[in-house]
Amino acid sequence: MSDGGILRKVDKVIRKKRFENIDVKVEDSVVYLNGKVSSWDDFVEIGSLIGAIKNIRGVVNRLEYPGEIRRERKKGNREKSGEADVVIIGGGVTGCSIARELSKYKVKVILVEKEDDVACGATKANNAMVHSGIGEKVGTLKQKLCVKGHFMYGELAKELNVPFKRCGMLIILTKDSLSKLKIPQFLANFIAKRIIPFIVVRRGKKIGIPIKLVDREELMEKERYVTERALAAVSSPSYGVICPYFFTIALAENATDNGVEFMLDTEVVDVTVENDGVKSVVTTKGTIDTRFVINAAGLYADEVAEMAGAREYTIHPKKGATLLFDKELGNYINRSMSLLRFPRAEHYKGGGIMVTVDSNIQWGPTIAECPEKEDTSVTAEDIEKIFESYTPLLPDFPKKSVITYFAGIRASTFTEDFFIEASKKVKGFIHVAGIQSPGLAAAPAVADMVVDILKNEGLTLKQRESFNPYRDKTTIFRDLDIKEKKRLIEKNPRYGKIMCRCEQVTEGEIVDAIHSKLPALSVDAIKRRTRAGMGRCQGGFCLPHVVEILSRETGIPIEKIQKNGKGSNLFVGKAKCLLGDKHDGN
Amino acid sequence: MWGKQNAYWVTNMMETDVTVIGGGPAGLAAALKASENAQVILLERGRELGGILPQCIHQGFGNFVFKKMLTGPEFSQYFIDKVRQSDIVVKTETTVLEIDKNKRIIATNSAEGILEIQTKAIVLSMGCRERTRSQILVPGTRPAGVYTAGTSQRLINIDGIMPGKKFVILGSGDVGLIMARRFILEGGEVEGVYEIMPQPGGLTRNIVQCLDDYNIPLFLSHTVTDIVGRKRVEGVTVAKVDESMKPLVGTERFIPCDCLVLAVGLIPENELSKQIGLDMDGRTDGPVVDERMETSVSGIFACGNVVHVHDLVDDVAVVAEIAGEHAAKYVRENLERRGKIRTVAGENVGYVVPQFLRGKELDSVTLYFRVLSEKRGATVIISCGEKTIFERKEKIVKPPEMVKVILSREVLNALVQNELRVDVRGGK
Ligand SMILES: Cc1cc2nc3c(=O)[nH]c(=O)nc-3n(C[C@H](O)[C@H](O)[C@H](O)COP(=O)(O)OP(=O)(O)OC[C@H]3O[C@@H](n4cnc5c(N)ncnc54)[C@H](O)[C@@H]3O)c2cc1C
Ligand SMILES: Cc1cc2nc3c(=O)[nH]c(=O)nc-3n(C[C@H](O)[C@H](O)[C@H](O)COP(=O)(O)OP(=O)(O)OC[C@H]3O[C@@H](n4cnc5c(N)ncnc54)[C@H](O)[C@@H]3O)c2cc1C
Repeated sequence: MSDGGILRKVDKVIRKKRFENIDVKVEDSVVYLNGKVSSWDDFVEIGSLIGAIKNIRGVVNRLEYPGEIRRERKKGNREKSGEADVVIIGGGVTGCSIARELSKYKVKVILVEKEDDVACGATKANNAMVHSGIGEKVGTLKQKLCVKGHFMYGELAKELNVPFKRCGMLIILTKDSLSKLKIPQFLANFIAKRIIPFIVVRRGKKIGIPIKLVDREELMEKERYVTERALAAVSSPSYGVICPYFFTIALAENATDNGVEFMLDTEVVDVTVENDGVKSVVTTKGTIDTRFVINAAGLYADEVAEMAGAREYTIHPKKGATLLFDKELGNYINRSMSLLRFPRAEHYKGGGIMVTVDSNIQWGPTIAECPEKEDTSVTAEDIEKIFESYTPLLPDFPKKSVITYFAGIRASTFTEDFFIEASKKVKGFIHVAGIQSPGLAAAPAVADMVVDILKNEGLTLKQRESFNPYRDKTTIFRDLDIKEKKRLIEKNPRYGKIMCRCEQVTEGEIVDAIHSKLPALSVDAIKRRTRAGMGRCQGGFCLPHVVEILSRETGIPIEKIQKNGKGSNLFVGKAKCLLGDKHDGN
Repeated sequence: MWGKQNAYWVTNMMETDVTVIGGGPAGLAAALKASENAQVILLERGRELGGILPQCIHQGFGNFVFKKMLTGPEFSQYFIDKVRQSDIVVKTETTVLEIDKNKRIIATNSAEGILEIQTKAIVLSMGCRERTRSQILVPGTRPAGVYTAGTSQRLINIDGIMPGKKFVILGSGDVGLIMARRFILEGGEVEGVYEIMPQPGGLTRNIVQCLDDYNIPLFLSHTVTDIVGRKRVEGVTVAKVDESMKPLVGTERFIPCDCLVLAVGLIPENELSKQIGLDMDGRTDGPVVDERMETSVSGIFACGNVVHVHDLVDDVAVVAEIAGEHAAKYVRENLERRGKIRTVAGENVGYVVPQFLRGKELDSVTLYFRVLSEKRGATVIISCGEKTIFERKEKIVKPPEMVKVILSREVLNALVQNELRVDVRGGK
C-alpha cells in the first residue's frame, strides 16, 4: 500500500475515535503521530489501532499526554575511547546472541550495556520458555523466528554447557475454555474436544512444528493434578525451558572468549551520523567510532533510534508478573501447561504453569500496559490475578509455598511484531526492536538474521578459524555425585564450604563467579551465576557471607557492596557510622 | 548411591554412637547430655558454635536455667565451654548434605572434604529460618534495603555493618522488637513497627523494653502494602487492615525510608527431616515427636526450634537434654515403644508438642502448646476421653507466649484411652 493509502486509513481511524489535534505523517510506510491526547490510555489506544492497520511498518507515537515522564538524557563522554566494526547496544539475550554469532567472524565487536551485568532487562524477568511458535500469529516475523530459533536451542545449549530441557508443553482444553462465548455447555464441550485440537494440529503442520493430540485419559494419567474439568489437550513436544539469564551470561562469556569486548555499566547517550551513515556511538565512558550500530536496547530501542535520527517505532511497555514456587513442588507437574481460552486476548498467549530447569514451578505472566519503562513492581492485584488465572488448571496446588515474584516489561511496538531491519534513514544503523515474547525462543534466529543484514549492508564477514564454540562448564556443586564432590574439594577446599544453604552453593562457586570471564561484581550478579540467594530463604542466610567473599576477592569495602549496580548499596556504612554523624553535628 | 563403590572412594568414613546436627543451644545441650553415656559427634555449618545466640547481644536468656538474665553469647558460652571440655568431637563449618534411614550422614567441609558418618542415633537441631517478604506476599519492587530482622541483627552485631538509616519494621515478632531498639542505639531512626494482627507478635517484656522505652510507635492491624524504590528502598506504603486482614482503602500512608525490616515469623528448618522422610506436623512445620523427642523414625531425635519455634531458650535447653539423654539410651538398649497416646489440639489451641507419648522412662512429661487467640481468665483443661486429668486457670494466655503443663507419671499411667486433649476454654 502506498503512503497515501495508509494516510487515508489512519485518518479514518482517528476520525472514528474522535481524536482531535493529531498531526499524521506517513513516510516509507511508517506512521508518525504528533499532537496531544488526554491520557496514557488514549496514547496506547490510538497507537494500537493504527498499528493494527495492514502493511504499516511502524508507528512513531509522539503524542503528548498529561503525566508523561520525560527522561533527561545523560551527559556523554565525547572523548574517543575506542573503535569497532560493530557496536551492539544492549546486553540482553538479543544483544548477547548477536555478539556471540558475530564472534565467529573476523570483526571487532563492542557490546555496550548500561547495567552492571548482562541480562538485567526483560531477559532476567521472563518465563524461561523456549516457545515452539504455536501460540504466535501465523505469518508474523516473531512466529517465523520463534520456530527457527527454538529448534536451535539443543545444539546451542550443548556448546555453551547450560541446562536446557525440551520438556514439551500441554495446551489444555476444559469445560470452561469457551465460557466467554456464552453457548450451550454441550456445544462448548464438543468444540473444545472435537474441533479446536484439530485446528491446533493443522496449524502446527503449517508452521512446521510437531503437535500431538492428547486425550483426557492420557492427560489425567500423566498430569494427575490437572483439573477434573479438562476435556482434552494438545501437546507441543518441541517446547523447551532454559534459564534465560544463565544462558545469556553463557553467550556473553563465550563471546568474550572469542574476542568480543563488553562494556558494562556504560550507557549509550548519543549516536552520531555523518553523510547519512553511522559515525560513532557516544557513551558515558567515551566515544566509540564505528560503521555499524545494532540497536538491541529493548525498552529503550525507540529512544536509541531517536538519537541516531532513525526512529521508526515507539515502544509501549507491557508489564508481566510471575510467581515462583518452592522447588519442593518441582514434581507437581511434568510438562509446562496452559489453559486455552477462546476467544484469546490480543497479543497475549495467556501465560501458564511451568517448571524451570531448577525445578521451581512458575505461574504467569500477567499482562498490562505500563507507562513507566522501569516499573517492575508487583502489585497485590497482579498476585491475585495470577492465582485467579491459573488455579482453574491446578485447583489443589499448595499456593502458600511462594518463594518470590517478579515483573518483567515487554518492549512491544504498536505493530506488535519484531522490527528487525537496516534503517532506511541512517546507513549502518540496524534495528532489532520490538523484541517482546517470544524473544527468548527466537534469539538464536534473530542473531542469524542480523548477521545476514550486516552482510547485505556491506560488512565483510570472514570466518575466524580460531572460533571456539564451547564454553567450559561452570562448576555446580549440587549437581555432582559424591565422588565428584570429593575430588573437587580435594583440588580446592573452598568447594567444601556451603554458603547458600537452600541451593547448596559453595564458596568455591562464588569465587568462580567473581573471577569469571564476565566478572560478577554485585550480589545479584553472583546470584544469577550461582543461585546463591535464590532459594526459599531468599538470601537471608547467605547474604552476609556473599558480601564478605565479594569484598575479600575484589577489595571493595563491605559497606560499599551493591545489590545490582549504581544506587543499590546494601548498607549505609559500618556499624556506629550514624552515631559518628551525630557527634560531628552534621 | 551407597552400594559397593563406597569401598574405594570414601576415606573419611567415621562411626559413632550419636551425631548431633546443628550446634545452637539445642544441639549443644543435647550433645552434652548424650556424651555422658555415648560417643558423640557434633556438626555445625557455621564458623562458631552457639546457633543464633552469638548475635543476640541483648539480655534475656537463662532466667530459668541459670536464674539470671544473661546475654545470648553468655548463655551459649556456658554450653560451648562445657562441650569443648568434653570428649565430644566438634566439627564447625561442616554442613550436613544428606541423611538416610540407615543413619548414614553425608557432610562436607573444607578441611576433610566429604565426610561419611555411620551413626547409631541422630539428634536433629537445625533451628529455624526467617519467613521472607515473599512468603507473606508484600507487593512492590525488589530493591536493596529489604531485610529480615535476624539478618539485620547479624549484619550489625556480627559483621559490624549498618543496613540503613531510617527503618520501618513490619511484624512485631521478638526479633523485630529487639532490632527496633538496636537501630536506635546505632543512631538510626525507626518510624514505627507495623503489625497486621490486632495483638503484638512478641513477648510483652520486649514491647515495653524495646518500643515503649524508646518511644517507638506500634501500629496494630496495619500492614505494608507497597515497597517503592528501584535500586534502593525509597519508602513504603502502610495501611490499616480490616478483620479479614485486607488493607482498607483510604487508609494508605506513604513513609519515606531506606530500609524495611521484616519480623514476620520463623519457620523450622526441616529440609533434612523431609529428606529422611520423617512424619511432619503441618501446624508446627516440624517433625512429630514423642515425649523423649524421638521422631517417627526410631533412633532419630529432634529438639529446639527445628521441632517448633520456642520463645525462650531455657525451654530449648530442657527438651534438648531429654533428646540427648534418650539418644544415648537408644544406642545402648533401644527404647521401648509402648502403645501410642496422641495429643490433640482442642479449643483455642494451635498445636501441642510432643504430638504423642509412648515411653515410660520419664517421671513427668511436659506438654508445650500455643493458644490461637489472647484470653484473660481462661482455663487450661487436659482431658482423656470424658475424664479431665488437669485443670488450671490462667491470668492471661497469648499466642506469642508458649504454655506449659507438666503431667506426672502416675497421671499418665492411669490413662485408659489413647488420646489426650488440650483445650483452653473460656476467658475474655
Ligand atoms: C513477563 C515476560 C515474560 C516473557 N516470557 C517469555 C518466554 O517465556 N519465552 C520467550 O521466548 N520470551 C519471553 N518473553 C520475552 C523475552 O523476555 C524478551 O523478548 C527478551 O528477553 C528480549 O531480550 P532483549 O535482549 O531484546 O531485551 P532486554 O533483555 O530488555 O535487553 C535490553 C538491554 O539493553 C540495555 N540498554 C537499554 N538502553 C541502553 C542504552 N542507552 N545504553 C546501553 N544499554 C542499554 C538494557 O539495560 C537491557 O539490558 C517474556 C517477556 C516478559 C516481559
Ligand atoms: C533474634 C532472636 C532473639 C531471641 N531472644 C531471646 C531471648 O531474649 N531470650 C530467650 O530465652 N530466647 C530468645 N530467643 C530464642 C532462642 O534463641 C532460640 O529459641 C534458640 O536459639 C533455638 O535454638 P536452636 O539450637 O534450636 O536453634 P539455633 O540457635 O538456630 O541453632 C541451629 C544451628 O543449627 C545449624 N545447622 C542448621 N542446619 C545445619 C546443617 N544442615 N548442618 C550443620 N549445621 C546446621 C545452624 O547453623 C545453627 O547454628 C531469640 C531468638 C532470636 C532469633
